[in-house]
Amino acid sequence: MTSRRRLQMIGLAASIVALVVLSLIPHLTSATDTQRWAQALYIGMAAMGLNILTGYNGQVSIGHGAFFGLGAYTSALLMHQHGWQFLPTLLVSAPLCFVVGVLIGFPALRVKGLYLALVTLGLAVLFPDLTKHFVHVTGGTNLVALNRTELEPPQWVPTWLSAIGRDDQWAYYVTFALTVVLVIATYLMVRSRFGRALIAVRDHEAAAETVGINAARVKVLAFGLSALYAGLAGSCSVLVDHLANADKVQTFQLSIKFLVAVVIGGAATVIGPLIGAGVIVGLQWFISEVLPRHVGSVGILKRTLGNPAASPAIFGILLILFVFVMPDGIVGGLRRFWTRLMSGRSGAPPPTPAPLTT
Amino acid sequence: MNHRGRDRRGPSNSLRALALCTVLALVIAACGSSRRSGNTTGNTGASTPGGTTPIIDTSNCPAGQDSVGVSGNTITLGTSLPESGLYAPFTAILKGERSYFSYLNAQGGVEVPKGSGKKYQIKLVDKDDAYDAARTVTNVNSLINDTKVFSLFNVVGTKNNLGARDTVNSDCVPDLLIASGAVQWGNTKFPWMLGSELVPYPLEVRVFVDYLKKNKPNAKIAVLKANDDFGQSYADTLTELIKGTNLTIVQTQGYDPESSDVKSAVTSLAATNADAFLLGATLLACPNALTAMGDAGWKPIVYMSGTCVSKLLLGAAGKNADGLLTVTPLVDPADPGNASLPAMQLYMQQVKKYSDADATDGIVAYGWTTAALMARILENSPKLTRSSVMETARNFKDGTGIGLELPGATWDTSATDWFLGETFQLITYDATAGHTKKLGPLVNLDGKTAELSPQSLLHS
Repeated sequence: MTSRRRLQMIGLAASIVALVVLSLIPHLTSATDTQRWAQALYIGMAAMGLNILTGYNGQVSIGHGAFFGLGAYTSALLMHQHGWQFLPTLLVSAPLCFVVGVLIGFPALRVKGLYLALVTLGLAVLFPDLTKHFVHVTGGTNLVALNRTELEPPQWVPTWLSAIGRDDQWAYYVTFALTVVLVIATYLMVRSRFGRALIAVRDHEAAAETVGINAARVKVLAFGLSALYAGLAGSCSVLVDHLANADKVQTFQLSIKFLVAVVIGGAATVIGPLIGAGVIVGLQWFISEVLPRHVGSVGILKRTLGNPAASPAIFGILLILFVFVMPDGIVGGLRRFWTRLMSGRSGAPPPTPAPLTT
Repeated sequence: MNHRGRDRRGPSNSLRALALCTVLALVIAACGSSRRSGNTTGNTGASTPGGTTPIIDTSNCPAGQDSVGVSGNTITLGTSLPESGLYAPFTAILKGERSYFSYLNAQGGVEVPKGSGKKYQIKLVDKDDAYDAARTVTNVNSLINDTKVFSLFNVVGTKNNLGARDTVNSDCVPDLLIASGAVQWGNTKFPWMLGSELVPYPLEVRVFVDYLKKNKPNAKIAVLKANDDFGQSYADTLTELIKGTNLTIVQTQGYDPESSDVKSAVTSLAATNADAFLLGATLLACPNALTAMGDAGWKPIVYMSGTCVSKLLLGAAGKNADGLLTVTPLVDPADPGNASLPAMQLYMQQVKKYSDADATDGIVAYGWTTAALMARILENSPKLTRSSVMETARNFKDGTGIGLELPGATWDTSATDWFLGETFQLITYDATAGHTKKLGPLVNLDGKTAELSPQSLLHS
């Protein structure tokens, strides 16, 4: 058995364990924790989408919070104002986000790198203003708050999927199922011709074109697909958080969160962004909920570690440490660790390292 | 390893992933069409103080939840507020609240109902939401379901409470003394919410308009508003109230509530050289706007939102804040002239004892007073149940002498009046002295909020 083959077996086993554990989450934890897991999943979905664009295709976006918001508002408004069930709204929000993504993708053909990042930043800043002008729902604000009946699962859903802890189960399982679908879709996509074209365009656009790849088409499609993922994530967030909301700070922070999830988890890896999202949500929970409770009343500790105002700083420091220790993300780091382990054990010459991707 | 992959040649391979996504979404969606019916109901029967018809209808409340949050002799309250991020200065509210509850608990606690001799300790659980409505909703759900609080207390922010509006109303958990002067808390469809003693924003505008009518009846007014519902309620009410007067609005500028950067907006307003300036802004945007106004050499009559009344914020504006008008429902702790009041002495002494907060900061005074108001509502409730306390808050008649409430003021509610903070004081800031001064007698607009509010906001 080669090292790579063994790695694949371990990967498969880990995936099965992860699937089993994740499908049991609502039965193992409280409603609040279930919601937190669901949040990690939807952030992971959006990060997977951003990863298609940034990790595989090399186009940087810090505006994906806008696509996320577009998905969220589409679902929330259809449910709140038109009485739709949640699931059918995905049929509208996913194609809509794809189309808008493609439209944004066209001008993106002309701008690259940092400039593209700035253009997408504009997207994140503009989106909340658009909602402020067009959406006046809850209390005359651009907030769409859904009530419990609007969030209820359809009747055909068996109670074991939805009964415990009211509707949290349903929100969790829908998000979970969509995440699994998107993971499989990503896995198949990166191994397809389109996936290889994405990487080829990222690595050398001119060379890719000489072998017959339509770089423009690939880049625009990458934008659309990536927006579609973010939109689906936004739709799920409505079910999980019971509302759609957009303000500048939040839309921007969300965009950065997706990017951080990609970088921490491992860019251009299928599962990395999900792991990254899990780490972000876990860290934030730890810093804002666990730490303040356990530093006790020791003066200096309480004022620093236990002070919520310090939590963004602690989070930032941890992120920097993370990037120092694992510059290619958790998945990349684990891969390096594995190759080192295997080469040490077999005494064989070290295999070529996995491609470092940015 | 992603570069390796078998070299397959086939049509439309590139769109396979997309097709898979949409097909699966279709399949899932096709199944969902019907709606689940049936909900948990249980009539717990609200107590009716004074034998009147209850305002709070409990027929749709979940059964057996009316006394949740009271265990032994402890009442657990929950709050959510920005303790991190741009709005972190609001943490001072929490310090004031904690000081009051610590003081009260040290006295033996709150007696419910008054005269029964049964005293309870108050425990306040706080959660940080960084002013993000989604996080507030998560916090509120967690406070209700995990912490099992009796009532929510002084949750900060309009959107933040609107996000939790359905939850608190269908769970029948009181969302009391909301830290927002928005008029949406007067929406009769959602009776489980009540705003705090903050002056409702439309009343502030009314006072300003009255002042101008008297002192500068032909004034041209420039408006700075936060680009959200908060700023909009100032602008809308002003437009409404100047109808039929000689007052005119020359220009309205919006600013981003998330950035507090108002310099360009104010510079543009200054160019109009208007006679009056309405500042529908909050926190750091207030001193920023006043400074920009001073820099531009513009000297209008300024009205600043009551949410900015804080020694810290006014001090930051320095001499540019001199002479501005605003309102407050409280006695100013920064004014040494108030130091002899017994209520002020108690406040100063206890805040110093129980917190590291600056007691002369109006935001701390607000927290202290709101906590005292909460205790007063609990005391007046005939029973220690959620429905009874909510009923009491909605029909509140014992609203004098609470915390740092202005002497002579009354905070009350009734079946037709859902706002507490309708008596207040017009004040002006004296930059040399570093505190505010009263201007004229107490303003009493009791029961007027609903008619002065933009109806679209009130019922939305």
